[in-house]
Amino acid sequence: MKQELKFKVNGEERELWIDPKTLLVEVLREELGLTGTHWSCDTGACCCCTVNVDGMAVKSCSMLAMQAYGREVTTIEGLADGPTLHPLQQAFIDNWAFQCGFCTSGQIMAANALLNENPSPTREQIQLQLDGHICRCTGYNMIQEAIQDAAKRLQKSKV
Amino acid sequence: MADWYKCPVCRKLSLEHQDLARHYLGQTDKKHKDWLKSKNLSYSHLITMQVTEFGNKGYDALAKVLEKEAAVVQVDVK
Amino acid sequence: METKYSVIGKPTGNVDGMAKTTGEGKYTFDMYLPNMLYGKHVRSPYPHAKIISIDASEALKLPGVKAVITGKDVPGGKWGLWRRFRELCDQIALADDKVRFIGEPVAAVAATTKDIAAKAVELVKVEYEILPGVFDPLEAIKDDAPLIHEDFENNINATRHIEWGNVDEGFKQADYVREDKFTLFPQAVVSMEVHNSLASYDKGTGKLTIWSSTQSPYYLQLGLADALKMREGDIRVIKPHVGGGYGGKNSTMPDATTAALLSMKTGRPVKVVFNREEEFTTTEHRMGLHLAIKIGLKKDGTILARECKIITDGGAYTGLGATALYLAGIFQTFPYKIPNWRYDAFRTYTNKVWATSVRGFGAVPTVYAAEVQLDRAAKEMGIDPLAIRRKNLMEPGYEAPGQYKVESCGIVPCVDKMAERIKEKWPKLEKDEGIGYAGFAYMSGGIFNWIDTPYAYSGARVQVNIDGSVDLFTQAADIGQGHNTVAVMICAEELGIGIEDIRLHPGDTATAPVDLGAWGSRETLMNGNAIKMAAGQVKQKLVDLARAKLGENIAYDLVCREKRIYLELRPERGYSYYEMVEAAIKLNDGEPLIGTGHYTPHNKGMISPAYGMGIMAMKAKVDRETGLVEAKDVLIVHDCGQVINPLGARGQVEGSVHMGLGYALTEEMPNDNGLVLNPSINDYKIIRQRDMPQIELLDVPTYDPSGPFGAKEAAEATISPTAPALANAVFDACGAEFDSNCLKPERVLKAIREAEKNQKNKAKAKK
Repeated sequence: MKQELKFKVNGEERELWIDPKTLLVEVLREELGLTGTHWSCDTGACCCCTVNVDGMAVKSCSMLAMQAYGREVTTIEGLADGPTLHPLQQAFIDNWAFQCGFCTSGQIMAANALLNENPSPTREQIQLQLDGHICRCTGYNMIQEAIQDAAKRLQKSKV
Repeated sequence: MADWYKCPVCRKLSLEHQDLARHYLGQTDKKHKDWLKSKNLSYSHLITMQVTEFGNKGYDALAKVLEKEAAVVQVDVK
Repeated sequence: METKYSVIGKPTGNVDGMAKTTGEGKYTFDMYLPNMLYGKHVRSPYPHAKIISIDASEALKLPGVKAVITGKDVPGGKWGLWRRFRELCDQIALADDKVRFIGEPVAAVAATTKDIAAKAVELVKVEYEILPGVFDPLEAIKDDAPLIHEDFENNINATRHIEWGNVDEGFKQADYVREDKFTLFPQAVVSMEVHNSLASYDKGTGKLTIWSSTQSPYYLQLGLADALKMREGDIRVIKPHVGGGYGGKNSTMPDATTAALLSMKTGRPVKVVFNREEEFTTTEHRMGLHLAIKIGLKKDGTILARECKIITDGGAYTGLGATALYLAGIFQTFPYKIPNWRYDAFRTYTNKVWATSVRGFGAVPTVYAAEVQLDRAAKEMGIDPLAIRRKNLMEPGYEAPGQYKVESCGIVPCVDKMAERIKEKWPKLEKDEGIGYAGFAYMSGGIFNWIDTPYAYSGARVQVNIDGSVDLFTQAADIGQGHNTVAVMICAEELGIGIEDIRLHPGDTATAPVDLGAWGSRETLMNGNAIKMAAGQVKQKLVDLARAKLGENIAYDLVCREKRIYLELRPERGYSYYEMVEAAIKLNDGEPLIGTGHYTPHNKGMISPAYGMGIMAMKAKVDRETGLVEAKDVLIVHDCGQVINPLGARGQVEGSVHMGLGYALTEEMPNDNGLVLNPSINDYKIIRQRDMPQIELLDVPTYDPSGPFGAKEAAEATISPTAPALANAVFDACGAEFDSNCLKPERVLKAIREAEKNQKNKAKAKK
């Protein structure tokens, strides 16, 4: 039996009928075509699939899509302001904070939730927030540098 | 003209018996194994010797047998 | 050196940045075609068994199931990457007569949804007759061991013997000789994007298109041609963005062959995606092995001879394992002069998933043993570990008889810089801290041609359009290492334009010249040379035209830089790049300017045209109570020739150290009679953010005549020294010795107790 799911995705109201056991990541990728959210480990252990739900970092593989009912989901596709990249995205490019890029959406969305809460995190706070995010390419240091760089850019733009 | 030693099983020629033994232990087909068996030698034993002990013990042991068994072929190498 | 170039050498953001940070870039994983089916494998639960029968009738009855295939439906034969030796081409699409490891595919289903495919897999009944298996290389070579492949007696898959100098004489002359034995564990690849492929077969034309997460579109084309019994040219491989490879995506795997076979059978597009468990249990990994190593030195620390023996746990098939066997020996000798050297290597078949190329391809386990042994020898001889390395370093022009020659070689200045920097960086150590060193080097692409390609190793085509924009075509594979950026930078530098002028068309076998793909750190040097040649041809046309128009003395040199073509000594005399392009195309009867480039190394020995190298120091702290080792800080001095993109080069080093630290501290694949015991990211421990140390990277630039603009590899060399540097730091801190990698607390505690006992015994003996 399909159920109706109403939620906001990247600022748009969405209504669709889904099998209630469908995961949020499946709805995003397969129903809405938002394939920027990746899926890697099948066991909730890699954080590749992190999105923001009401501003919080959430693993979209560990949440049923129905649990997002009435809430606001932001994926990597919703972060940029039109053609202008979000400072996190620009900082990830400028600091070589990704290589293969497969885990990058999750890293950026987790960092986004962190910066919303804490606009100038220390290196240790970044490590703590992103500790569950597995990356096989970068060794993390350049990701942490990019997040601190983005924090500075965000603060500058607010002044 | 030089003296070459011929593998008793295939066409491989070597200038040294030890080199011929190296070739031999690198072969993995049944014909090579069966000939070893016929000489009361064990592939397994020779390889274990060569790979778990220092020096060229496995090759040298086989080379000694090949000194008797390998035919000598005269080849003109230009 | 920096001032000569306007593009290369400058920190440049990834050209795929927009695609990869916005979610717009598509990986094979993100691709769905209309009317697409999902394929899934039926896998063997046994490590070694005969297949008696397969009954798919129940599965076929399930609504939504469109096809079930077994080994009998495979039109082609075996394939592999060692095409020069057909007997080593041992991979099969679906097991027909018997299975050789747990998880080997025996059948596959295609269904309209993933769920139906998964249900159908459960309904396929397979009857097996269980055969005895072998799981350790020393068991596998026994005369009475069960044979895994016919005609591979004693399960010997490949062997290597390399020897130079007079080893026995070298040991005789040595003042100090020591022997050590090690067992090195396998390491999983764990690309974040799993193996997956999407195939679409056109029945009308008989041609296949496949999108796949691969490191080498060309190798995949070859593998599929053998598996499907098709012409290479009838198979189009497209490599979208790839979510990591690290060596694990060189072989053609069943994701690709099965997607293709099912698409051919159903006439619909079929996608096969491995799950993470399949990734751990049925795709390739770094070899485990038993190793014995012996070194002989003079009193002053000069190495006189070394001997190394390995027998590796190859698994059920060959992959690139036979190449790893070769490189494991060769790179153990770097970056030192070893006048007398003997190496014996045997690769065995076992009833496990197989071992292949993985970042540091071959070198990682053997370099570990060599560098750890060198520290043990240094300590007993009372020589400083950095000094003993300094004593034995290669110099430019060094040759290993019959194997390799090193042209550019910055290792001596690297070690001198390290000695200087280390004093400032770590003037004082805390309690239970230690410093460990390890030297390293790696190839910039391999010369050996086991794939037996008739093509040049790398190719590129440049097309310059009327507006000056450039289309650059190559099959070179960016799998995350950043080659797309390097490729565009090299092209821009050669033409004197900006990277924004270039559109890159990578990884499509139908549109671009062959390139062997991303392995052995080959793309920068080999593909870079091909691109430089292709761009150079166009540049020559523009320069000739400008020269003719200028009417200047023929002796004057022209350069292309900053989008102008001008006299080098009189920069005001020249034309804009755009003006010359337009004129040249008009002169050329309207044909766009085309340049084609290719590269194959010649007269460069057996291994590689050039070697990146350097030295690593690691500071680590040991907790004597818990056995926990913390990697605190890393210093690397690195010679990778002319750096093309400093950002990318640093990224490669950081990533290598990360994977190397996993090998050193946490990553292992315990196996129980063929069963991988930790097939998930929860249980297979990859180094996480909080455990990753900072890395200071210092460059010693050199110029290698073989490289484009003098560039060499930077992608893999720094993985090999990481684990030995860490083990040596622990040895320095507390004297603990290890005969394996993966220094988990329980192993460390045991080694500390052992070391304490030995020290007590020594003290007693002195009394």
